[in-house]
Amino acid sequence: MTEIASLRRTVRLLPNDPDYRLQLAGALLRVGDLDAAVEECRAAITLQPDDGNAHLQLGLMLMAKQEWRAAASALGEAIRLEPDLSHAHYSLGSVQYSLGNVTAAVESYRRTLGLRPLFPDAHYRLALLLRVTGRTREAAQHLETAAAGGVPQARLFLGNAYQTGQGVEKNLGLAIFWWMQAADLGQQTAANSLSKVRRQALSSESTKQRRVELQSALQIYRNTLWNDFPDISRPSEPQSLGKVLREQNRAEDAIPILLRECFALSEEAHAELATLYEAGWDQYLKPFDKTILSCFESTSADGFTPAKKILTRIYAKGLGLETNIPKAKAFLKGLPKQDTQSLFDELGLN
Amino acid sequence: MLDRQKFWRLFIASLPLQALGIGVLTTLLSAMLWSAAPATLTALDYTVYDTWLRHRTTAQVSPSLTIVTRDVASEERFGRGLWDRGILAQLIVTIHEAGAAVIGMDHRLDYASPAQLGGAASDALFLEALRTASPVVLIQNPDSLLQSDAAIYGHITVTSDLDHISRHIPPSIRIGTQTVPAFGSILSEIFHRHTATLPQSLSSHSDADVLINIVGDGSLTALQPIPLSSVWNAVERHDEPLLASWFKDKAVVIRSSPGGSETWLLPSNSTVDGLTAHLHVVNAFLNHERIDSLGWFSRFTVTIVLASLAAWSLLQFRGMMGLLLAGAVVVGYGALAAAMLNWASLVMPIVTPLAASFSVFISAAVWVNLTARQCLILLERDMIRIQQESAAVREALVLHEDRAEALQEDLDTAKAAMAFSADQQEELTRTTNSLRLQIAEAQGQEQDARRHLQELERQLGDLRAAGTVSSAIGNAELNRLQVEARQFGILTQDRSLLRLFHDVKKSAQSSLTVLLLGEPGTGKELFAHAIHRLSPRSGKSFIAVNMAAISPELFESELFGHTRGSFTGATGDRRGYFGLADHGTIFLDEIGDLRMDHQSKLLRVLQDKSFYRVGATTPTTVDIRIVAATNRNLQKGVSEGWFREDLYFRLNGMVFHLPPLRERTGDIPLLADIFLNQLAEQIGKPVPQLTNEALRALTEYDWKGNVRELRHCIEQAVTLNDGTLLARDLLRLGDERGQARGRTGQTVPDLAGDAAVLNCLRRHGFDMQSTAKTLGWDRSTVTQRLKGLCFQALVETSADQAKAALTIAGDSSHLRTVELKLMDYYDHLRSVIEPFATAEEALTDCKRRFKNLPERHFSSVETLVRRHFQQNRPVPRGQTQRA
Repeated sequence: MTEIASLRRTVRLLPNDPDYRLQLAGALLRVGDLDAAVEECRAAITLQPDDGNAHLQLGLMLMAKQEWRAAASALGEAIRLEPDLSHAHYSLGSVQYSLGNVTAAVESYRRTLGLRPLFPDAHYRLALLLRVTGRTREAAQHLETAAAGGVPQARLFLGNAYQTGQGVEKNLGLAIFWWMQAADLGQQTAANSLSKVRRQALSSESTKQRRVELQSALQIYRNTLWNDFPDISRPSEPQSLGKVLREQNRAEDAIPILLRECFALSEEAHAELATLYEAGWDQYLKPFDKTILSCFESTSADGFTPAKKILTRIYAKGLGLETNIPKAKAFLKGLPKQDTQSLFDELGLN
Repeated sequence: MLDRQKFWRLFIASLPLQALGIGVLTTLLSAMLWSAAPATLTALDYTVYDTWLRHRTTAQVSPSLTIVTRDVASEERFGRGLWDRGILAQLIVTIHEAGAAVIGMDHRLDYASPAQLGGAASDALFLEALRTASPVVLIQNPDSLLQSDAAIYGHITVTSDLDHISRHIPPSIRIGTQTVPAFGSILSEIFHRHTATLPQSLSSHSDADVLINIVGDGSLTALQPIPLSSVWNAVERHDEPLLASWFKDKAVVIRSSPGGSETWLLPSNSTVDGLTAHLHVVNAFLNHERIDSLGWFSRFTVTIVLASLAAWSLLQFRGMMGLLLAGAVVVGYGALAAAMLNWASLVMPIVTPLAASFSVFISAAVWVNLTARQCLILLERDMIRIQQESAAVREALVLHEDRAEALQEDLDTAKAAMAFSADQQEELTRTTNSLRLQIAEAQGQEQDARRHLQELERQLGDLRAAGTVSSAIGNAELNRLQVEARQFGILTQDRSLLRLFHDVKKSAQSSLTVLLLGEPGTGKELFAHAIHRLSPRSGKSFIAVNMAAISPELFESELFGHTRGSFTGATGDRRGYFGLADHGTIFLDEIGDLRMDHQSKLLRVLQDKSFYRVGATTPTTVDIRIVAATNRNLQKGVSEGWFREDLYFRLNGMVFHLPPLRERTGDIPLLADIFLNQLAEQIGKPVPQLTNEALRALTEYDWKGNVRELRHCIEQAVTLNDGTLLARDLLRLGDERGQARGRTGQTVPDLAGDAAVLNCLRRHGFDMQSTAKTLGWDRSTVTQRLKGLCFQALVETSADQAKAALTIAGDSSHLRTVELKLMDYYDHLRSVIEPFATAEEALTDCKRRFKNLPERHFSSVETLVRRHFQQNRPVPRGQTQRA
């Protein structure tokens, strides 16, 4: 409010300076006073009608107000004044889609990419539009670009595309890869998709063929992780990359890789992370890390037995949290007795 | 034209066809009635169904159907308008993962999500959800912005009837270029496919609309939907058992859109949107409680069948019985409609069939009255046809009889030869057997022909009995006819002539050509005049033309007229007889005396009713009624080639044979009395009285000139008579023996006399068997006697077969029969004598062959044989037949 009050005073002192009015409009927009922001913006445009950026700002405010036609008009004026204003083209694409003009929206995104080819969000938006209009192959290409550019939603949709084979060749390993990439950026739907893969890979309700297919896909994903470390020689037998990195004391790479391998149901990674959770790793990782605990709870909830055993130990011993024997026992519920007996004995749960 | 007549004849003769015709007409009538008050009649038509729907036991909600509907709580959570498609995507995926068999949703892909509803990302998620949960049934929209090959589209249209009540859903509708099935249909079809039960969809039945079988009052609440907020809460709680209990192996319909603006009024008086109506249909399908109604074609067919059945009952069983049966048909249909609704869930039409059936009661009565006259005409035509067929079969019978006789003779000859020649006995035995077989065959054919003839005569009798033909005329009617006939100068009290007059009177009303046959003086012109006066043309001209009296050179000019200057002497236009008779009647007397070239000219006029006047370039068309008369046998003329066959058939419309005076002797005293009065008055004398002897002589006289001759005879006697009594000798009837008919032979025939045998043959129409039975003779004896008479007649007429046949036949009625017999006898004789070189040799063989012929007739054979050899040019066999 201090900023707004300051800017208001400045505007009162210098009423004919459009820049201050635009700054005031921006501040008002940030606090959600859309009407006042639009008013200031219009006043600035009146003072300086040929300023494309002012029109762009007005367009964005009108978009926030969901006044699509007015926004389209303002953005159109901004483009007329400054045809190379890529953000105006990008915003106009969104406005056109909201108005139901899909073709015009596609055209706007294409113009945006013409002006700024490395615009991941524009690639993502264009990919979505191409996808909803049935042009899945082209959509997949733009999704790849957007996903590589770090757009979490693009990674999700690309993972979905690889899962169903829409516009790309069906590849469940790559689907898991992109979902994992999306989940790394906090994309919850992608995390849910991964969780579903794990559940189906472990569930007795799935067919054996399906289980084998999914576990194979998870293994492929784990193997894919080695591609980012060409300096490390790959062993002939499947082995945890994270464990190798830890052995090489490459903590910055080892911990994220171990987490990914853990999410991809690697027993070695689970065991390695269980050790790290309990003991920590020098200055790189404190004991009882919540991220690791959360990872174990996820894979345990999806039915991964090693994770259940690890969590049983954690809750029974109160590692990083309060001891909770009933909860510890609950993790082992439903598991074969011969598998759990030794753990029961070891932890004194009997 | 001919086909139309044939069709009409077939139609009039066939009751089923008439019933079908009436059925179709009354159906059209009821359809017109429907178009006059469609709303009212639609409501009436569905009264039974609507009442049944409201009062039957309530239908149950199917356990296989789950409906999730947005509620207040969900609207508070997700908004009151459209929802983010991302939410719908999550809902679809969750329900799919809970094990739903098929998912339907009242969602359209006709808009792009604006940014506040998730934009393109939500749209893409929604499409992915559709793909995951495929197949998902959505609502079809012609302007779909989003493309999904995983969605299946249905329509939620409801048909409103003319009384503004919605009872049906169309099985499919056209949207743009696509045929879109009903939402309920496609949903239940996929469900049944999934559960591998028998599909019961709209498309598997007819293309007729399906009736909405409602649960409760037809509202959405009656289908016990689950609130969407409850489902969402269960999703958030990950309450998978609850979700599975709701959705597993079920058809799930999600109502996520705000309520539709278009609503429909159901028979239960509930107003619902299209999706709710379709949900009731889905429920009925899942419960296998589908209700069907008939399409327009089936309704039309049912109506025609019912109306035709009622019409047939009325036409077939006249009177009360027919009414009762037709009523039973209508009542039976009502019961059937009720039974079909109850047991087969099929709604039958009510108003149209009943309206058509009731119309049938009136239409059938009107139809019967209208066609009675047509039936009578057809009956009479059938009589004429059967008479002609009867004549043809008689001829065949004659030929078979003769063949049998000839073979019998051959057998006799063979037997005789066998007696003379023992050496040839074996050969002759074989011949005998062969001939016996042939005889048996010929006799069999004869019997067949006789049976056929009897059958035809029986049919003729039936037809006479069936029609109002003269046999049903009573005495009172005869008296009335006698008085009526007298008005036309026809003086008779003879029943047969009065019956004929009765028939003439009926035929006068039509425009059929009439042919009057009869000997001179039998009153052909009087009858022609009567036909004209009794016809609708009586006010127009009657032109009588004696064809024999017209000069051949002036034939065309006289009949057709001429234009001025068309030939020398044509100083003015002349109309001609046909022109003068326009709109009236032309009487062509002595038509049998017409020359062949004139016959063809006349034929053209009769065919086209148009002709060219002499010298004219344009045809003249006339509307005339033709009445022709002749004393000649035109049928014989056709067979002998002096009368054109086509002209004969053209004239042969209605044929009347006027009986000669000798066949109605009861009229002679009456006519004599009338003539005496007329003539005495003319010459101013007192009316003389005939003596009994004179009256008997008149009655017994042959009267070849018929009434005309009788009048001349009496005129002459009245002129010569001076007293008050007119004696027999003044009548100048000539030789009594030669002229008078053998009346005694009619009752007690002189068995030995040829004349008696001939009379007997004439009375029996030359039927050998019946003649033999009357005379108490063997049939071959009668045959031999006739053969002898034929040979005698041939001798007397110098082998002129036509004259000889007329001599034997006596009149034209059996001329053809006698001709055939005579030709056959003569041909046989010639075939017998053909192989011989001399008359004597031939006569020797003839004596042996014709040994049964009376001796007095063998002299005729001898004469004929000798003439044959004298001429020395044997006539090849068969030529006579051709002649």
